[in-house]
Amino acid sequence: MAVKVLVGTKKGLFVLSGDAGRRKWEVEGPLLTGFSVYHAIRDPRDGALYAASNFFGGGTVHRSTDDGATWERAEELGLPEDGELKLNATWHVEPGTNGELWLGGDPGVLFRSDDKGVTWQPNEALLTHETRDKWNPGAGGMCLHSINVDADDPNKLVIGISAAGVFRTDDGGATWQPVNKGTAADFLPEDGPEVGQCVHKVLVHPANPDRIWQQNHCGVYRSDDRGTSWERLDGNGLPSDFGFALMLDPRDPDAAFTIPEESAMNRVASGGRLGVWRTRDGGASWEVLTEGLPQHAWVGVLREASAWDGLEPNGLYFGTQSGSVLASPDGGETWHEAARWLPPVLSVETAEWQ
Amino acid sequence: MAVVRLPALLAQEAGGQREFEVDAATLGDALRALPVRDLCLDEHGELRRLVNVFVDGEDVRGADDLDTPLRAESKVLVVTAIAGGAPELVALSDKLTARP
Repeated sequence: MAVKVLVGTKKGLFVLSGDAGRRKWEVEGPLLTGFSVYHAIRDPRDGALYAASNFFGGGTVHRSTDDGATWERAEELGLPEDGELKLNATWHVEPGTNGELWLGGDPGVLFRSDDKGVTWQPNEALLTHETRDKWNPGAGGMCLHSINVDADDPNKLVIGISAAGVFRTDDGGATWQPVNKGTAADFLPEDGPEVGQCVHKVLVHPANPDRIWQQNHCGVYRSDDRGTSWERLDGNGLPSDFGFALMLDPRDPDAAFTIPEESAMNRVASGGRLGVWRTRDGGASWEVLTEGLPQHAWVGVLREASAWDGLEPNGLYFGTQSGSVLASPDGGETWHEAARWLPPVLSVETAEWQ
Repeated sequence: MAVVRLPALLAQEAGGQREFEVDAATLGDALRALPVRDLCLDEHGELRRLVNVFVDGEDVRGADDLDTPLRAESKVLVVTAIAGGAPELVALSDKLTARP
């Protein structure tokens, strides 16, 4: 088994294959030539690859059952014909806990497939959510980019939409509760709105479903009650409240990794110094990890462009808009460039196969 | 039979076939007969944004659109609105209308 890094780029999908030490990488691709791959993932249940693939006309989903050699396109994917909204882009595919798949898209829409991605049904409750008229599209559109399915209960999901906020369901998506209490929305006139927060990435910890980490347009947050309340963490040593990337350690719910950027106005590595900031105490303190990372690098890392492999020690990965993929086989202590000169990196995921 | 010619990406998705001969009375019928109908038309059955179609040299958008009649010898050209740069323009337009 080898670690593979699925790198979705503005021009196709690349697959990086690591050696046993996760220090040498072979680059294959581009696959899905011409498509912007906003996100690609391997379904651990059957090994199928899924890509949220976008082209000049809109978005679709591709599926491959032969490790990317051939692809099939979704046959049925779209919003109801009697509505005003249309699917602008596909953003994130997430395998569920049973046989199902979830797909997030723009404008803040969620789809479910029960036939391995051939047909997708829009989630009605989210589509007609009572707060929808208060949602705002961010610079990346109104993208539903984060989907967390509870490992034990397939009816429990936590999702993130930019700029609508974090929502959770306990009934498989029949109803959705906004859970943004305590997260800032400095760009809105009111204090503490129910929705409208610009969540950049939200991740439920794999070992503790009550613990959620969030990198927001306005701050980094942790919740210990599944989103009911949030504690702001970026006053504790992080150089900036702004960023997109977020990585976790599946064995340590108190650990998280972010890549802060200068500001919303200047979306590059904070101070032109590329570093991964780590906390191991739930966000009470942060330290910067820079060994092997360029210290004069005005690069940006997008919301889907970071991942971890969960091996021992935990491998961390992120990709830049300048087409590099950085890898750490030792939990962030040391980094190396696994690939360079790729198209702008939109997404990074990991998987293992031969 | 009218002939429909696809841009490279759509041809790739159509198994590498660039041109299709179709027996269709209207442009809509012709596009719906293609294996890449979903990439030409959106979920409402309308021509996707940034996918432009010329029938015998005439842009159908804002004219007869999908109702444009085809003749037996019609040439249908499916093109990207602005090849390559189009997604950036969409992103820019999104930015201009976005608040945060």
